Amino acid sequence: MENIMGTMLALLGAALAAGFAGSGSAIGVGIAGESGAGVMTEDPGKFGLVLLLQALPGTQGIYGLLTAFFVILKVGLLGGEPVTVGLWQGVGILFACLPIAVAGYFSAIAQGKTSASCIQMIAKRPEETGKAVILPAMVETYAVLALLMSIILLNSIKL
Amino acid sequence: MAVEKVKKLSIVIHRSAEERVLDLIQSLGCCELIESSGSERVEAHGTLRRLQDVDDALADVRFVLRFLEPHFSDPDSALARALGKRPSVNLEELETLLGERGVRNLAGVFRDRERRLSEIRSEVGRCTGLLKLLEKLHGFPYSLSILTRGTERVRGMLGSLPKDSIDAFQSDIAEETGSLGEVLVFGGGEKKDKDALVALFFPADSAKRVEETLGAFAFSRIELPAELSDSVENEQQRLAALLEELGAEERALLHMIDTDAEELVPDMRKLSDYLTVLRSRLDTLVRGERTEQVVISKVWCPESRVPDVKKVLFPFETEMELLTEDPDPSDSPPTVLSNPGWVHPFEPLTKLYGAPSYGGVDPTTFMAPFFFVFFGMCLGDGGYGLIMAGLLLYALRKFPITGETKKFFVLLFLGGVSTVFVGMLTGTWMGNMIDAFPFLSALKPLKDKMMVLDPMNDPITFLGISLALGVVQILFGLCIALAENLRKGEYLAGVGDQGGWLLLLVGLLLLGAGTQDLLSPAFVSLAKGMSLLGALILVVTQGREKPGVAGKAISGMLSLYNVTSYLGDILSYSRLLALGLASAAIAMIVNMLATLVWDIPYVGWALALLIFFGGHAFSLAVNILGAFIHSLRLQYVEFFSKFFSAGGRAINPLRYETRYVSICKDPE
Repeated sequence: MENIMGTMLALLGAALAAGFAGSGSAIGVGIAGESGAGVMTEDPGKFGLVLLLQALPGTQGIYGLLTAFFVILKVGLLGGEPVTVGLWQGVGILFACLPIAVAGYFSAIAQGKTSASCIQMIAKRPEETGKAVILPAMVETYAVLALLMSIILLNSIKL
Repeated sequence: MAVEKVKKLSIVIHRSAEERVLDLIQSLGCCELIESSGSERVEAHGTLRRLQDVDDALADVRFVLRFLEPHFSDPDSALARALGKRPSVNLEELETLLGERGVRNLAGVFRDRERRLSEIRSEVGRCTGLLKLLEKLHGFPYSLSILTRGTERVRGMLGSLPKDSIDAFQSDIAEETGSLGEVLVFGGGEKKDKDALVALFFPADSAKRVEETLGAFAFSRIELPAELSDSVENEQQRLAALLEELGAEERALLHMIDTDAEELVPDMRKLSDYLTVLRSRLDTLVRGERTEQVVISKVWCPESRVPDVKKVLFPFETEMELLTEDPDPSDSPPTVLSNPGWVHPFEPLTKLYGAPSYGGVDPTTFMAPFFFVFFGMCLGDGGYGLIMAGLLLYALRKFPITGETKKFFVLLFLGGVSTVFVGMLTGTWMGNMIDAFPFLSALKPLKDKMMVLDPMNDPITFLGISLALGVVQILFGLCIALAENLRKGEYLAGVGDQGGWLLLLVGLLLLGAGTQDLLSPAFVSLAKGMSLLGALILVVTQGREKPGVAGKAISGMLSLYNVTSYLGDILSYSRLLALGLASAAIAMIVNMLATLVWDIPYVGWALALLIFFGGHAFSLAVNILGAFIHSLRLQYVEFFSKFFSAGGRAINPLRYETRYVSICKDPE
């Protein structure tokens, strides 16, 4: 029973990582897309730039997916043989997934709002694309730090 | 391999030759008009009038085309036309065609037909409405003229009344009018109708009292058009006959239009393109500077094409003069990219971001190999790559695609090739198809021999490769920026901005490798030295814009914080692993579903095939989109930001812009 509980908790961690980070990305990319549609009503030629800025908040979903993959590979459910996961190890893996889950969710939404504003900026000033791309990337720093922490924590749990 | 140098050409043409000279320039398609900031100029009356005529003719042709095209059955589909399959004509043919077809008259004829058609349609609508009403009046004993006009002493009225108030109404009217009034109630109508159709007759002198009664009973009047004067049956017959007539006329008109469409649409399309070409040429002429005798057109021309321009204009030597000069610092010349052949497919990617500024660096060549590899890594499936490459090769062979679209298609084809390579190296062919389906097990040893790395079982190595490629690309970007700065002579910026970071980053990476015991102690101390030197350079140079020593020092130290942004950039490349795993995972799930469904009796095999093809098609589409966008995003955000700023304007030359035909020169 304990073995199954441990593995299940690890799966819960993977689910939270992928689910919340992905949801945050979806909301963020959606917000940016709404802004982009408005800009393209006036100038459809800006599609390339708008698409680029809209894609920026999508990173957190990928990081969440990555973390989930790591967890599943770690407990041997995908490729390789299933590993015995003790209860507390499972809890540890669950906690290790929280940084990317929570930070991914909130930072993606924040990055989406920043992207939306930057899309408005390049509507008037398309020559400032470089700066427009850097502003949302500043928000992404925190998602990256969270990913780093999740990976380090996951690595440090010895099965 | 760069942004090409551009020359400013001033073409001074005598009025008599202006259109012909510009036709030749247009056929070359490489020169962009420079708007002249109007000083004194003589008005271009003759040319303006020509432009007006062309505009009118173009409007007429467009109207005819718009009217006829829905009736035209095109032998080529719109897709084929968009991909380049067009009849080719030359300009002389088109000029004769314009003379032959009296476009003005044609437009007049079709405008009349359009008007007649809409008249017919509204008439038909009106008749149908009347017929419906007359149906409800079935059994009306008098002729309708009594309702529409009345007689000297009797008036009639048609209206609707709530069913429950009919009896009260009838008794009221009987009261008012005695035996001279009559109320007829019509049966028919739906059971659920609250109102019934009622006809009312009364002597003309009691009109006022009847009106009051009507008001009291919520009688809503229905007007009949004055033309209905006969009995109901006769009017119905008359209207039915009229409808027949109108229908026949409409059909005849439409038939005429269909035959006309077959005959005229191809010619109209050619004329539309010809007039568009003429228009852009005349427009350019009108915007040139002019004097009494000459027109001066100033154009931008890429340096490599200037000899072509000179050669083409040689026959007009006596009537024109060509002056070549370099652009002024105050001008803003357009950007023309010129790259070796293998780089061409990647040019649309740079254009999507923004054209490089004139005299700046063209990132296309640098970005090309990275994009090629990253696309393959993100999609990473041999089967998908083969499908992609196959489809695109077929499209490129079957349709005569040109220009930017062709570059894009070739780019996707190259992406497919890269995907096949990566799929081969990771042993992914339609996901784990070779492992999942037992009947393919014969191919397994072959797949295993070609496989070098399995990302599913060993993701850390793949992650390492992705991050390593990221480091390479970022350092490469910094080197390009360094080279640019040195080329422009800005040594301090080069050493400080790029040199410092290069030393620091490489030093830190080597230190990191040192902690894993991968390097000898000598190397580790070298690494320490590099990092410290790099940090020192940064602290000293990054604050150089700020006032005061303290300001400079603090800015310099704060700039070291940017190392976290570099860390973020490097970690961003982990998406290559994530996307590669995602495509493999989705493919694996599709295969798993197909094998599960296979065992269902009778229909299992059909369902399995459906799931297999449908699922992999969906997976292919989604993953191609993801691979393209994310590989591109890595170039734009992590790579370009190190050395490239778009600020330029792509060249927009005077050329043949056609939608329906392609213009070619006479073979003579």
